[in-house]
Amino acid sequence: MNIDIKHVAKLARLRIEDEKLSKFENDMQAIVNMVENLPEIKEELVLDKDNAMVLRHDTAEIRKFTRDELLKNAPHIQAGCLVVPKTVE
Amino acid sequence: MELYEKSAHELSEMLKNKKCSAVELTESVFKRISDVEEKVDAYLTICKDTALEEAKKVDEKLSIGEKLHPLAGIPIGIKDNISTKGIKTTCASKMLGEYVPPFDASVMNKIKSADMVITGKLNMDEFAMGSSTENSYFKTTKNPYDLSRIPGGSSGGSAAAVAAGEAVVSLGSDTGGSIRQPAAYCGVVGLKPTYGSVSRYGLVAFASSLDQIGPIGRNVTDVAMLQSVICGHDKMDATSKNIEYPDFTKSLSSNVKGLKIGIPKEYFGKGIDSSVKTSVMNAVKELENNGAVVKEISLPSTDYAINAYYILSSAEASSNLARFDGVKYGYRTENYNGLVDMYEKTRSEGFGDEVKRRIMLGTFVLSSGYYDAYYKKAKLLQKKISDEFNGAFSDVDIIATPTTPSAAFKIGENIGDPLKMYATDICTVTINIAGLPAVSLPCGKDNGMPVGMQFIANKFNEQTLLNAAFGYEQIVGGFNSVAAIK
Repeated sequence: MNIDIKHVAKLARLRIEDEKLSKFENDMQAIVNMVENLPEIKEELVLDKDNAMVLRHDTAEIRKFTRDELLKNAPHIQAGCLVVPKTVE
Repeated sequence: MELYEKSAHELSEMLKNKKCSAVELTESVFKRISDVEEKVDAYLTICKDTALEEAKKVDEKLSIGEKLHPLAGIPIGIKDNISTKGIKTTCASKMLGEYVPPFDASVMNKIKSADMVITGKLNMDEFAMGSSTENSYFKTTKNPYDLSRIPGGSSGGSAAAVAAGEAVVSLGSDTGGSIRQPAAYCGVVGLKPTYGSVSRYGLVAFASSLDQIGPIGRNVTDVAMLQSVICGHDKMDATSKNIEYPDFTKSLSSNVKGLKIGIPKEYFGKGIDSSVKTSVMNAVKELENNGAVVKEISLPSTDYAINAYYILSSAEASSNLARFDGVKYGYRTENYNGLVDMYEKTRSEGFGDEVKRRIMLGTFVLSSGYYDAYYKKAKLLQKKISDEFNGAFSDVDIIATPTTPSAAFKIGENIGDPLKMYATDICTVTINIAGLPAVSLPCGKDNGMPVGMQFIANKFNEQTLLNAAFGYEQIVGGFNSVAAIK
């Protein structure tokens, strides 16, 4: 299986610098060649009911964090809001 | 013997009987850190001031006769992908280089409730992807037994710190061997608990269906004590199993008489150094001489396990790491032109090459047209591997294998070749795929470098696992030695 690195990188929102591209292509090709060797198992995937996740009730909890605490790690804030580039044309 | 060299259970008795104070113990560990950390490079963040404050509080509580947890006052290092409130949690990545969590992981709440003393945050491969700590954005940790060699990974800092006496015990995380492999290379004991027995809340996610936090120590008792602290149901983790968890220390027994040990031939084939095979088989022989029953078994799907592991773990990683987009927290590129440009530059500058490879592999196997050929096949194989283990455990109590194919390799030896690096996980990945508990323990040396043996048990049978490990430890007269750093 040949892998189109530029296309996959685009899907993953990554860019590979030109000088690294050929090494990346070779490495990724080798990895894909390795992992594609898997046996054919003629079964269907079924949910593992014994290990089903137990979700919490969908109820509101008392706020654990203040707005300021959560914004402390944001790369760019203004007037208590996250600043992002224009997203709607 | 200095305090930092002693085991957690010895120190626990000493603290209780006022033979030393928690402050003296903490100072001893930090003296050791200042003596050897420059050579070992195990830590990313050192928390000396807060550790001494925590130790002082333990001494105050002890002085008024308060009954404390057995691990109160014991210095512990934490892998840097476990969220620690107010202490940087970088995952050894530029992406989270300045990130300070506003909350504690559930395991940290338990560590704090037990009044353990947090020494700092330990180096690792970036986002736990790697087998040597060479993928850390910040530095490569050195093996305390030979500073020109890797300590293993991804929890390389956690294993090296304990081996070097820079912490009495530590926490690591294990997705495909990341606790057991460095424990083997550094000559310490590392437990990967059953999936679902330790809460993952606050562990920065790599592959959520495989990740598990676990303890590292210089002997089996310390590991059993720490596992008893961190396990248990947590409503904050939907995969946490709600069952009764025993105190593993209380029932620790060294009696191996009648213990049925399976030896899977697939783990002793080509690719495994003959010195490693010999060390493991000699250890098994010792157990047999003490009454254990040894039986050859077969786990035929093992040969495909590494392939399935890289598909499943990378698929989950590609999804989990999509959150790092430079918006709410973490690194953001400086100059960008529009939203997509910001995402791409942020992620390309913030992630290292190995993380990018895994994200791209995961994106590829999940992309349109390839799902059936890769992810679905790997999921079916996962079930087959689990079924094979289930079959084996109807016949044996534990399974013994090497932890790694060889002793620790040289820094730089495998970093240019991802496939060679991936192959070092060949004995450990199956256990995560099947969600089983497994422990690595020292079983000899190869040219002065530690060799590790892995015991595997059925789900939630940590007691059987730890008893077998404790039995072996007693036979060889105890582990617990701190590496002399040269």
